[in-house]
Amino acid sequence: MHVILVEDDTLLADGIQRVLQGYGMVVDIVRNGLNADAVLQRGDASVAIIDIGLPGIDGFEVVRRLRARGNNLPVLLLTARDAVADRVFGLEIGGDDYLVKPFATPELVARVKALHRRGHQSQSSGIVLAGLMLDVSSRRAIANGQPIELSVREWGVLEYLMRNVSRVVSKQQIIDVILPWGEEMTPNAIEVYVSRIRTKIAATGVMIRTIRGFGYMLEAEAD
Amino acid sequence: MKTSIRLSLLRWLILPLMAINLCGAAMVYWLAWVPAEHAFDQGLADSAWALIPQLRLVDNRIDIDLPKPAEQILRVDHTDAIYFTVRTPHGRTVAGDNDFPAMPDDSRLGEPVAYDGVMRGERVRIVVLHARVGERDVYIGAAETMHKRSTARLEILGTLAVMEFVVTLLLVGTIWFGIGRGLLPLDRVRHELDARQRDELTPLRNDDLSAELSPVIDAMNRLLERVRAGADAKQKFLADVAHQLRTPLAGLRTQLEWLRQRVAGDTEAVDSATQMIDTTTRMARHTNQLLSLARADPSQFQFVKLELIRLDKVIEDSVQQFVREADKKLIDLGFQLEPTMIAGDHFLLRDLVDNLIDNAIRYSPMRGSVTVSCRKEGGQGILVVEDEGPGIPEMAREMVFKRFFRIDDKAPGTGLGLAIVRDIVEDHQAAIEIGQAQGGKGTRIVVLFPPVKG
Repeated sequence: MHVILVEDDTLLADGIQRVLQGYGMVVDIVRNGLNADAVLQRGDASVAIIDIGLPGIDGFEVVRRLRARGNNLPVLLLTARDAVADRVFGLEIGGDDYLVKPFATPELVARVKALHRRGHQSQSSGIVLAGLMLDVSSRRAIANGQPIELSVREWGVLEYLMRNVSRVVSKQQIIDVILPWGEEMTPNAIEVYVSRIRTKIAATGVMIRTIRGFGYMLEAEAD
Repeated sequence: MKTSIRLSLLRWLILPLMAINLCGAAMVYWLAWVPAEHAFDQGLADSAWALIPQLRLVDNRIDIDLPKPAEQILRVDHTDAIYFTVRTPHGRTVAGDNDFPAMPDDSRLGEPVAYDGVMRGERVRIVVLHARVGERDVYIGAAETMHKRSTARLEILGTLAVMEFVVTLLLVGTIWFGIGRGLLPLDRVRHELDARQRDELTPLRNDDLSAELSPVIDAMNRLLERVRAGADAKQKFLADVAHQLRTPLAGLRTQLEWLRQRVAGDTEAVDSATQMIDTTTRMARHTNQLLSLARADPSQFQFVKLELIRLDKVIEDSVQQFVREADKKLIDLGFQLEPTMIAGDHFLLRDLVDNLIDNAIRYSPMRGSVTVSCRKEGGQGILVVEDEGPGIPEMAREMVFKRFFRIDDKAPGTGLGLAIVRDIVEDHQAAIEIGQAQGGKGTRIVVLFPPVKG
């Protein structure tokens, strides 16, 4: 995995590079916005980590120009400023995810990996996590090499959860995604689907956690 | 004992005006009475004048031709008793009452002189007329009791008193009203200041065109401006510092975490690295809290910035972050969120929710449970955060809102969380209650937001 890291603070850039290299990734560091713009145009990375506060042009501008070129490279934004405003703006500009400094290393790694996965998903139609694989085009799920039977609704729920690995989603969000416009469903129905899915994917190393009163989070067991 | 402008004005206006008024009244009395008395005296004098034609000389002695009926006509008076006398300079009474009091002999010829006297035990008014018959002098005296004069005098005084009373009432009333109206701008300013929430530094309304008050309001607004500029500078400074610290802290943390993995076999080294990482985490938290505190400061907050916000959505935004935190202590974090619309500021509400949940998780035991709920009740938005921690004793429930107050110094935390919460609650004109969790153990914090339309 080739990562382009755009960060001007030496200590932080160096630290991130060490960490990601420990996971087998190749990390190139760029220290200002204008250089980043040039480097990103070469288009040979799979994920970009971009700090917002940069000399030259700022991180937002780098992303804007990237997207303006039609480049869909997954971007993780790092911010030192007020998280909420930066996030909203960053996502509007075209960023895919964000992290507020300072962050925990496992969090950084998880998000970079998730972005990498997402990037590849748009090329292939498969989502893979531990022992579970989803073939989106044919709507088939394979657990530990064996195909599993899923109803239309169950598939919808599982696909959505798989597309949001390590992210908390509410039951209402799931409902909104899997239902055609105009139909209604109670949150209880979602509970039923999730419990059925859990049975079917047991032992794949993928677990669906319940966030009491709120929703679910799908993640790999003990990464 | 505070002096009062109003009372001062009243004193300086009413008292002198009353004094002037009374002087005026005295003058009016005088102007009314003097002509009246003069008229009475004229009438009395006429009685004396009437006698002169009846005087004649007999044997060179003064004599008078005054038949009884004529005398009776002279004494006719409805109210008073009339006395008269005609005397020679030697004191011989030619006609009339013998006991007429002695008359002065220095009056000019033909000029009546009037004065008060006593006759037959009563007060009388006396008029003396010096006449001459041939070559002989004669003094004619007429006297009457003062009853009709008294009556006239009393009538004048009575009318005057009533008039004075009415005028006084009108005077005092008008002045009172006038001063009240005049001081109205002061009252308005006072109300405006009283209505201010604590620490509000926005300028006072100055559509007052009065020469006296307008400059004062302007000066006040300039002062407020300076204070606000100072507060703004302080806030900006806090925010800048906080932001500047975040990147170095991120660098430290990332490098230390890497280092810790690198020395995995060496327990002591791992321990050392862990302590350093924990410290950077604490520093980061302090920085965040400083930022939140700066943001939440009521003197900075402008109420016009409140917008309609779904509280449940704000809480949803923070779920991701707290699930991770809760995992570390194996805490069961649960939610009961109903659509709840309130008027608020997104940043601040986020800080509020974050701090409350963070506190709950921080003070919960391992495997404890924390529940966050929000709902609308009676038009009010209600946020509740409950934990199973040690709870907050009743005595401490006010103190916990103070900056840096810690119930337990050893528990990790900045001591700023609830101070921030309190400021944000105030910014939103909401109310906060600390109580015991249902089930007896733990803390339950309830925030009540004011009702909104919609």
